[in-house]
Amino acid sequence: MTIERPFPGRTAAGAVLGGLLAAMSAADPATAQEREPGYMPPFAAPVPPSLNFYGSPGLMDMPSAEMLPDGQFTTGISYFGGNGRIGLTFQGMPWLSASFRYAGIRKLNLYGFSTYYDRAFDVRLRLLQEGRWRPGVTMGLQDFAGTGFFSGEYLVATKGFDTPRWGGGQQPGRLKVTAGIGWGRLGSHGSLGSTGRRPSFVGGSTGGQLSWDQWFRGPFALFGGLEWAPNARWGFKAEYSSDDYVTETQTSSVFRKRSPFNFGVEYQATPRTRLGAYYMYGSEVGITLQTQLNPRHPPMPMAPPAPKPVVPRPAPERAPQVWSTAWAAAPGAGAALRDRLAPELAAEGLLLEALSVGAESAELRFRNRRYGSYANAIGRAARAMARVMPASVETFRLIPVVEDMALSATELRRSDLEALEFDGQAAQALLSVTGIADAGPQPANAVRAEGLYPDFGWSVVPYTSPAYFDPSKPLRMDVGLDLTATFRPAPGWLMVGMLRQRIAGNVKGGRPSNSVLPHVRTDQNLYAQYGTTIENLYVARQWRAGPDLYARLTAGYLESMYGGLSGEILWKPVNSPLALGVEANYVRQRAYDQRFGFRDYSVLTGHASAYLEFGDGYLARIDAGRYLAGDWGATFGFDRVFDNGFRVGAFFTLTNVSAADFGEGSFDKGIRFSIPVSWFLGKPSTRSVGTTIRPIQRDGGQMVRVPGRLYGQVRAAHRKALRDQWARVWQ
Amino acid sequence: MTARAGLFRPAGLLLAALVLAGCAGGNVGQRAELQIVQAMGAAAQKAAAGKPPDRPPLTREALKTVTISAIEVTLERRGVQAYLFLDTVRRDDGPGLITVWRSEDNATLATRNGVVIATRGLGNDLLSSSVPVRGDSPGPAGSGEHVQMISGLDNKELRLALECELRDLGPEPVEIVELVHPTRRLQERCEGPGGGIINDYWVDDRSGIVWQSRQWAGPGIGYLRIRRLVNRPIGRN
Repeated sequence: MTIERPFPGRTAAGAVLGGLLAAMSAADPATAQEREPGYMPPFAAPVPPSLNFYGSPGLMDMPSAEMLPDGQFTTGISYFGGNGRIGLTFQGMPWLSASFRYAGIRKLNLYGFSTYYDRAFDVRLRLLQEGRWRPGVTMGLQDFAGTGFFSGEYLVATKGFDTPRWGGGQQPGRLKVTAGIGWGRLGSHGSLGSTGRRPSFVGGSTGGQLSWDQWFRGPFALFGGLEWAPNARWGFKAEYSSDDYVTETQTSSVFRKRSPFNFGVEYQATPRTRLGAYYMYGSEVGITLQTQLNPRHPPMPMAPPAPKPVVPRPAPERAPQVWSTAWAAAPGAGAALRDRLAPELAAEGLLLEALSVGAESAELRFRNRRYGSYANAIGRAARAMARVMPASVETFRLIPVVEDMALSATELRRSDLEALEFDGQAAQALLSVTGIADAGPQPANAVRAEGLYPDFGWSVVPYTSPAYFDPSKPLRMDVGLDLTATFRPAPGWLMVGMLRQRIAGNVKGGRPSNSVLPHVRTDQNLYAQYGTTIENLYVARQWRAGPDLYARLTAGYLESMYGGLSGEILWKPVNSPLALGVEANYVRQRAYDQRFGFRDYSVLTGHASAYLEFGDGYLARIDAGRYLAGDWGATFGFDRVFDNGFRVGAFFTLTNVSAADFGEGSFDKGIRFSIPVSWFLGKPSTRSVGTTIRPIQRDGGQMVRVPGRLYGQVRAAHRKALRDQWARVWQ
Repeated sequence: MTARAGLFRPAGLLLAALVLAGCAGGNVGQRAELQIVQAMGAAAQKAAAGKPPDRPPLTREALKTVTISAIEVTLERRGVQAYLFLDTVRRDDGPGLITVWRSEDNATLATRNGVVIATRGLGNDLLSSSVPVRGDSPGPAGSGEHVQMISGLDNKELRLALECELRDLGPEPVEIVELVHPTRRLQERCEGPGGGIINDYWVDDRSGIVWQSRQWAGPGIGYLRIRRLVNRPIGRN
């Protein structure tokens, strides 16, 4: 498969990823901080605040006002007295973080469950940044849209002070004092008063709606605590909790609460891993495992093998014969240069598709098989051109191509390459003399690579296919092997087939669907009954439909649950932050055995899409149209895309399906992340692993998963991405 | 597409999985899972191989057989040592002579009159730098600003400005593998954001060579110790 799926759904290697993240954080020893320049941010990873039991910055059960470093991505796992929680938090903006949490309460014995599982979203907004004298102030909404089991709102202030250091290290100690006022759960112990009436939690309700009528309503109480980190390794915490655990300790008896005071000690085992042990509510022992990643600080720094330096041409007055243009008139000159250039490019992981040369300029169309950063690929291609082209060729046009779609043209002068490689500001200086524009049609004198088509490839790789949040088994997983074959009969044509063999797994034991809508996604357990399946089998044709226009037609078995016909057109000028697209699909539901048969459900589904890139790597997307169950509506997506390809986002879909018909969750929503392989291997790669997590999979607001959607193929080679990653051009 | 689950027994399937997993052919872009499997395999192999054997001590006799100029570079922070061979010598519009050295594992180090200006292939590389060199005089030629562009964050470059003061510490010959070179020691004391560094150069004005140096190549790499082991005239490289 050469078509990259930014957010592979069911094939996501969630478990593999988790293991890798754990392994690499363990392998990364704490580096001693030397007093050399640049030991602090942005050169070195920032020291983040510690997390509480909910996975947000804070003490134990209580939050603090601290924000994580921008872009921080954390996982917090905690357990005490029957309460297990796993929370993902992402600091999407310097002043805003969002969390998704899955919690289990053992022996709650309420709402028809012995162990009660709950999924919740939190959001935290910084109101005031900590200053020299003033504390930081943060407003938080905990479980603001779920069933509300954990719901609580708070305003909290935190101020840090330097203290004498104790133990090793060069940094002073740090004492952080936190005080806040909480509502809901956080206003349940020692209430001082009440602001209005708070609607009560209804166990077993569908949830999912914004519970704005609860926010900051009802009894409120004060909470607070201290955290002291005498050195970079150790931390001590004490708090007064305003959470009375009414349901857990009074309605039911999950644990016994004897005191509102909690105490803990934490140890920073590696720069990315922190362990904690606690004494909770006067009766229980608690533990946490906190891991924190920053997309901008990879565990393995990117280190592609060093390129070959550009060798300058001799000065024309000293070697006029070298600068002759007579070669250009010779028959077969283009083909001869192509044959010399192709192996130079191949050594850099680039495939020559076509070359057109004139006496003074050359245009290269190439496929990038190695570099996640197109700026890197273009830099390597330019160096290869400088090694091969006759001296008179001064202008290089470098055009990356995906399935015959020319993505953009970077135009630079060879004399600039020669003059600027060792300039003090090599990257910026080259950027200022480089043009980036639409590729345009292929010149008539282009010579195509020979022997590139037909092109056959295959691979056998392991896969994992998870299913989340079944109350009887929160994580189900299938593992096995994918045998993939790709065949390109001619440029722009792609045929793909993937045969999937399950080796082990328990997704087939999942809950049967109770959906009242057509079961467009909720029959996952029925689809999981079969061990050998055809995951997909399709033909795709991609082409440039005109200036700034990209087009795709795909037919066949598109994904495990649907087959049919899909067409898409995308408008995306190279220099525009805005893209518009239209996609229409006629699909039929595939038989559960995922061979060649179909079920008796077909639908015309499609969307008009708008994509907008803005600021420092934010990507907003709206898709409006008709979904698989025939429902009409729109999907709103928001992603933070880092320049190394690390991506974290969230989405929700509102359609004309009522909350009651939709079922649990009321509407479709989820989070997604994608981590480039290069981020943890330190080697260039075009691939990513990631997953989409929905609190619950229902049938409303569902799209067909078409392989090879256009925007993901196009954006990374356009002006904004190239400029933002331009530091890679000389690497 | 005719394989059937019933044809396989689980054990046979597992065996097949182990044999097959992580294979590919043709011009398919490698899938992420495949790259991860291969990287894990390579790491396991490396761990199994253990530490590479110590290199035999250098002798001048052995170095005489080396036909191109070579340096020895030690990355202090990682405790790694490598031999780098001359790759390219050139000039540009800036002052001084640019020399690019390459290691066997494809890392490069570029210098201007012996002052490190760029690295590649090490990670957190020094992408480019402006250094105060002049004419053909080896090492830095005066006090002034030393600006480093450091590869960091998500495919970005970060600017690190060092304010440097140059001192001539007078004659201080160095011995490099049995040969004593008549060098003078230059010392640069530089202050940057959050700290300071010291670069030392042992320079030979007559040959124009920095025979030995200890230079700071940015916060990601730290100090490099560099010794010129072999010097061959450029024409014979």
